[in-house]
Amino acid sequence: MTNAMVLLVEDEREIRRFVRHALEQEGLRVLEAETRREGLLEAGRCQPALVILDLGLPDGDGAKFVEDFRTWSSAPVLVLSARSGEYDKIGVLDAGADDYLTKPFSIGELLARVRALLRRGRGRPDAEAVRVSFGEVEVDFSVRQVTRGGEAVRLTPLEYRLLAVLLANAGKVMTHRQLLREVWGQAGGDNSHYLRIYVGHLRHKLEDDPAQPRHFLTETGVGYRFHL
Amino acid sequence: MLSSILLSEDPLSPPWRRYGLAVLGCGAVAAALWPFSDQRDLPNTVMCFLLAVVAVAVWAGRGPAVLASVLSVALFDFLFVPPRFSFEVSHAPHVFTFVVMLTVSLIVGQLTAGLRTQARDAARRERVALGLYGLARELAGAVAVGQVDECVGRFLWAQWRAPCLLVLPAADGVLVPVGGGFAGAMPALDDDLLRQAYAGSEPLTAVSGAGSGPVHYLPLVGATRNRGVLVLALDEGEDLGPLLAALAALVSTAVERLHFVEVAQAAQLEAVSERLRSSILSALSHDVRTPLTALYGLADSLLLGPPPLPAGAQDIARALRDQALRLSGMVGKLLDMARLRTGPVSLRKEWQPVEEVVGASLKLLGSALEGHPVRVTGLAHLPLLEFDAVLIERVFCNLFENAAKYSPPGAPIILAATLGPALVELRVMSGGSGFPPDRLQEVFGLFERGQAETAVFGMGIGLAICRAIVEAHGGSIRAFNLPEGGACVAFSLPLGNPPLIESEALLLEGEGE
Repeated sequence: MTNAMVLLVEDEREIRRFVRHALEQEGLRVLEAETRREGLLEAGRCQPALVILDLGLPDGDGAKFVEDFRTWSSAPVLVLSARSGEYDKIGVLDAGADDYLTKPFSIGELLARVRALLRRGRGRPDAEAVRVSFGEVEVDFSVRQVTRGGEAVRLTPLEYRLLAVLLANAGKVMTHRQLLREVWGQAGGDNSHYLRIYVGHLRHKLEDDPAQPRHFLTETGVGYRFHL
Repeated sequence: MLSSILLSEDPLSPPWRRYGLAVLGCGAVAAALWPFSDQRDLPNTVMCFLLAVVAVAVWAGRGPAVLASVLSVALFDFLFVPPRFSFEVSHAPHVFTFVVMLTVSLIVGQLTAGLRTQARDAARRERVALGLYGLARELAGAVAVGQVDECVGRFLWAQWRAPCLLVLPAADGVLVPVGGGFAGAMPALDDDLLRQAYAGSEPLTAVSGAGSGPVHYLPLVGATRNRGVLVLALDEGEDLGPLLAALAALVSTAVERLHFVEVAQAAQLEAVSERLRSSILSALSHDVRTPLTALYGLADSLLLGPPPLPAGAQDIARALRDQALRLSGMVGKLLDMARLRTGPVSLRKEWQPVEEVVGASLKLLGSALEGHPVRVTGLAHLPLLEFDAVLIERVFCNLFENAAKYSPPGAPIILAATLGPALVELRVMSGGSGFPPDRLQEVFGLFERGQAETAVFGMGIGLAICRAIVEAHGGSIRAFNLPEGGACVAFSLPLGNPPLIESEALLLEGEGE
């Protein structure tokens, strides 16, 4: 992870200061940009391994940045957003951002997200694994078997597919729309209540306390995040 | 020339003047012909009398024309046919002449008078139609209902000297007269008839007794509903039904157009103010949160080092960080409240399980609930509810936060759900001393706190936010103390009709069992 290049697009100097400080402590190289335009130019020039993008840039829309960036790079994008902007977050995540952090955030949270994204950016070891385990649950993709505490768990085909998609994107925020598209296909459309019900089923089958899940996390108003 | 006479307005309306004209006309012809009576030119005399009958018919109408016919024949016989000054007839063919003369003059008189009446009717209809065109043009340009009333009033007054009154429903549905500048001699309105006319689609007529003519109540039938009633006092013998219907249609179109203009303007205004409000709030939220984020992050990085701070400075850095976080939470709540209080709350409702939001809010609170085990019962079997997840999450966050704040360390927090026939009630219960029993209502007010001045951090905005959100969802919220001690806040959400869920046939392919 050391020496990876992180591009920080943020217009507020004091926020840039402590984020840069934290990232440099982590052994990362940091490049700063103040505006969307400058950010895109810098990104094109130095090919960052990760982009940290503030949603409140003076010259516009973060979703537009991500769209442009995604036309030529698949490097992960971490979005910094205000709490009330749930619906802006959806737009930027749907546009291809990987994760978001709500302001104010602690350095611990920031570094955890950055580490996770950089790991994902270097290929997807988790997605390629044949076996994945979390908590007491083990998933064996080769035989399509799910066990919890050694006992087989019965899943419907859709539950299994949803679990597989969530595991393949572990650590990443998946919007409702992205999950519906991946699991239900284009026909998913408006049936987001199905998605919520199936996530509920998975929680009841695989979590210790479905009301306080530790793996199938809800990002309210946005989507879900699977936490290994 | 004839047409102008035919179209001229009835100048001799009193009957005695019209019949007088008949007598006078015949007399004048007789007098004029008298000097030539010796020449015995009887055919031309007859012609002159016929001319007089036509003239009387043109000017005075049917009845006088009949009188003139009879009078002409009599005068002709008496003055011009020998033996003169006698009605005796010496020559038999003269009788035939009289009969033909009488017949011809009666027929010509009647035809002429009929023509005159028709021409006059046509002219009046044309004038009314022109008036209606003018009215339609004026109504199309009207920008307020007062103007509509004025245009209609002027039209009715110019046409028939008829007073009128435009009655429209006010915002609360009560019928109220508009303008009234042309109500003039309008008798008092009959409220029952007014309401009936407004409720129906047929014009109603009240025949009032004393002195005044019938009063018509014309409902203004709009495309979607009735727009009001046009009341007019019009005493006209003829059948004005179609005309009044046209008038009512014109007025209702105008009133309806104005109504929709008003609706469109209101919607536009609301959209503009909504945009303004949300842009002010988001600018404010950005401007306040940005320095707080920096403050929090900088304090945090100070704390994490390197180099590690001496113990005392570490405490200070930690305190700085925590205070920044609290301040940020407070700002968040204030902004939430501002958003909820300064206009209609726009909800992004979706059908979803409550359990999910509870989980999310517990995770969001994280360390704030430390030392308070949370127990959740009855959530798993609830049906889907339709709500705005982001807002209901705030409700749970505020309730759990309060529960943790106001109960002794280690006291459990219990969330219980009960399913009623039309709603779901969710109760958050905690230990502690509970709410002051005399202020169970007030705690939902803005800037109210259960315990007036305590060391517990907060500013009494959480429950007010909860109430605003729950009420926006059509639910209700109340606070009470538990008999076994401790406080409880219960809120309800309506059940509605959840979408049908097709259950998927089990089950996992390749299942080992």
